[in-house]
Amino acid sequence: MDYPIREFAVGGGLLIAVVAILHVVVSHFAVGGGLALAVLETAAVRRGDRPMRDLVKRSSTILLLLSTVFGAISGVGIWFTIGVVHPAATSSLIHTFVWAWATEWAFFFLEVVTALAWVATWEKVSPKTHLLLIRLYAFAAFLSLVVIQGILGFMLTPGRFPSTASFFDGFLNPTYLPGVLFRTGVCLALAAAWMAFAALREEDRAARARLSRVLGGVGTLGLAVAAAGWFVWERALPEPVQRLFLGEKPLLAALATGRTHTFRILLVAALLALLVTALPRLQSWPVALLALVACSGVLAGYERVREGVRKPWVIAEQMFSNGVLVTEIDALNEKGILSKAVWATKEAGGREVPTGEAVFRAECSSCHTRDGYLGIRQIASAMDADFAATFLTALRDDGARWKARAAGQDVKPDYPFMPPFVGTDAELEALAGWLASQNAPRTAEVSRAR
Amino acid sequence: MPGETPLPALDPMPIPGPPWLFHALWLVTFAVHVVGVNVVLGSAILGTFASLDRDRAFGRPIARLFAEVSTWAIALTITFGIAPLLFLQVLHGRLFYSATVILAPAWLGLLLVLMAAYYLTYAAKYRLRAGKEAALPLALSALLFLAVAAIQVAVHLLSVQPGRWEAALASPWAAFSDRAFLPRLFHFVLAGVTLAGILLSWLAVRRAPAAEDRATAAARATWGVKIALLATLLQLVVGLWLTISVPRDVLLGLMRGGAATMAPFTLGIAAGFGLLVFLARVRDPIADRSSLRRALELFGLAMLLMLVTRHQLRDVYIDVAKAGAAPATAAQWGVFAIFLVSFVGCAALCVVALRRSATDRPGPGGATA
Ligand code: HEC
Repeated sequence: MDYPIREFAVGGGLLIAVVAILHVVVSHFAVGGGLALAVLETAAVRRGDRPMRDLVKRSSTILLLLSTVFGAISGVGIWFTIGVVHPAATSSLIHTFVWAWATEWAFFFLEVVTALAWVATWEKVSPKTHLLLIRLYAFAAFLSLVVIQGILGFMLTPGRFPSTASFFDGFLNPTYLPGVLFRTGVCLALAAAWMAFAALREEDRAARARLSRVLGGVGTLGLAVAAAGWFVWERALPEPVQRLFLGEKPLLAALATGRTHTFRILLVAALLALLVTALPRLQSWPVALLALVACSGVLAGYERVREGVRKPWVIAEQMFSNGVLVTEIDALNEKGILSKAVWATKEAGGREVPTGEAVFRAECSSCHTRDGYLGIRQIASAMDADFAATFLTALRDDGARWKARAAGQDVKPDYPFMPPFVGTDAELEALAGWLASQNAPRTAEVSRAR
Repeated sequence: MPGETPLPALDPMPIPGPPWLFHALWLVTFAVHVVGVNVVLGSAILGTFASLDRDRAFGRPIARLFAEVSTWAIALTITFGIAPLLFLQVLHGRLFYSATVILAPAWLGLLLVLMAAYYLTYAAKYRLRAGKEAALPLALSALLFLAVAAIQVAVHLLSVQPGRWEAALASPWAAFSDRAFLPRLFHFVLAGVTLAGILLSWLAVRRAPAAEDRATAAARATWGVKIALLATLLQLVVGLWLTISVPRDVLLGLMRGGAATMAPFTLGIAAGFGLLVFLARVRDPIADRSSLRRALELFGLAMLLMLVTRHQLRDVYIDVAKAGAAPATAAQWGVFAIFLVSFVGCAALCVVALRRSATDRPGPGGATA
């Protein structure tokens, strides 16, 4: 937050979400593709199954182009994006987990080399060597997932890390294994969904049906594993987080709906996979496309729920999404947010930003845009300065609750999905004034009516 | 204090190893990355020229060779760009993030540009394989790769000069109008062209060509040498330009470093001159393979030394800006060991994979995959 600040019209959160979802769909396909292709090529070689071998070969170029090009660049893309949107959090994660990332990178390196070699050696090397290449690829790709999940899980459920600051406490956190399970399942399902298109290009009808059936089976298996993974994952979430979207009156209705929708999508994907397994001759472009969209939807839905339950944290129980640390709430209330967010008054383009707006940029703009996603102008449209000040005071009072919660007490903040307001009275007034001014025309009407 | 740029606070979280270790890993992985960058930039540029050559029989195979090499090189370049990016963030996170926030549109745009350049290279490769012409995709990819390099140079220069942040935030062009920007970019580009030229020659004559291929191989190698020679000559001028474009304090700081900084710098320049001599000596590349080989080695040496200088120059820049930091460390040796074992293991497996891919050729009648 003491970094230069850039607001994005679509909102930083949404920007990350778009990049991340594109990346995860492709990277999960790259992992699942490795596993599935290794098994299928082995079977093809053992049984001398030509159509199966052709299916694997047809799937190989797309695997290469997606995983080494799009997967790699979009992976770097997430990195760039979170660095720009949440610099403080990225820095903190890097300091804790750089060796884990470096390890993941080592596996990614092997993944890229073996992918290139595997695709380049069709019809050149012996089947044995070719199998070695795809197995190494599958191994490397899967391990990169096993490593990265440690960090992803940590951001949501840091486990004992906040008190021990030990790497392994953070890495082997409560949602680590459930996350690996879920992701592995989705990987398989996505791989089957992608490869279904390659299977449809088989000319021989009987062989086409057989391949589609095999892929339907892989998809079914993957989705079953994913469903089991999700089930365990939810139970590994801490009680207050579960309350956000489980139970009779979820605190975040939108999130609960998102979760329900994701389940429905998972059901559709599973039904399609079962259908193709049972009646493989029904497999066709539209069905395959629908299945692919549905499998991607399951993953996207999961990522949204994961991001959603993490609100307002960027690193759970430690750092809020605006970069404020739980440990600095009191100090910032005393010295003022702008004592830390020194760049908030300087906007891209060179305009000097007035205090109230600067406080918004420092504390709120990581989630709220001006007019787009969670647009503040819309949200604050019914607020005059007094109302806004009351709201912000309540939001500031939440600070004590968050601290108590982080210390392990069962306290519920009034605004469970927003960080507390931190800052001096003067800053609070200034922000309240600015919020009210966002709605100048209407306020004018209201005061005239009075 | 008026006039001073407020730096973000140092991350209170300790770094998980001693700084020297991160510096070392950063330099090593970055060196691999830069070899890749050179190959990619140089291949894209020379590939474009080759595909525009009026003598198609001469130009197309060269363009194709570059496109084939490039798709591999891009993958490895990107992969080896990730590691130094990690270590850089450990050591200079607050400078790096600030610069990327300030230049966010360009920095995030870089990804799209890179992806487009990559797919264009694949498109060129498949077109050339099919015997079609590919000047347009190659030229476009060259332009896009240049843009990527330009953005990287701008972010780097901005990150080490916090004093320029405010101006760059007000107008991003301020970041690109740094006096050192153009010479630094050209320095990179010329290195790429040089390497691509030498590599092309080396590949053409590495093994004594069969009698019927002699003329082609010689023509190709001579073309490569000529380009490399020209680029290296220009490089000496650009090197000088870059030296005088670096802020005075920074240059003085580099000189005050004594042998530690001046030795790599002067030796690097000497290696550059040596490269020039060997390239100029090549008359008949097939007969004089050893000069070509020396040239390749001297290029490698000059590049490594210049990377050390670049690394030291960054520290001087940061010192001059008083933006250095001594972060707390809490080494995670166990996790580091896991990384080291994984890395060595993966590298070994890569070697096995590549060697088997290159040597396993079943004889007639033997089954292939
Ligand atoms: C962690 C992200 C996040 C941050 C940071 C954040 N908000 Fe919110 N805010 C939300 C979410 C999510 C909602 C809920 C929207 C909904 O339910 O439709 C919300 C709702 C609101 C509302 C409507 C509250 C209500 O009762 O309906 C206001 C007003 C608001 N935010 C103001 C602010 C202000 C002012 C700041 C900065 C001090 C801020 N927010 C910071 C995420 C955030």
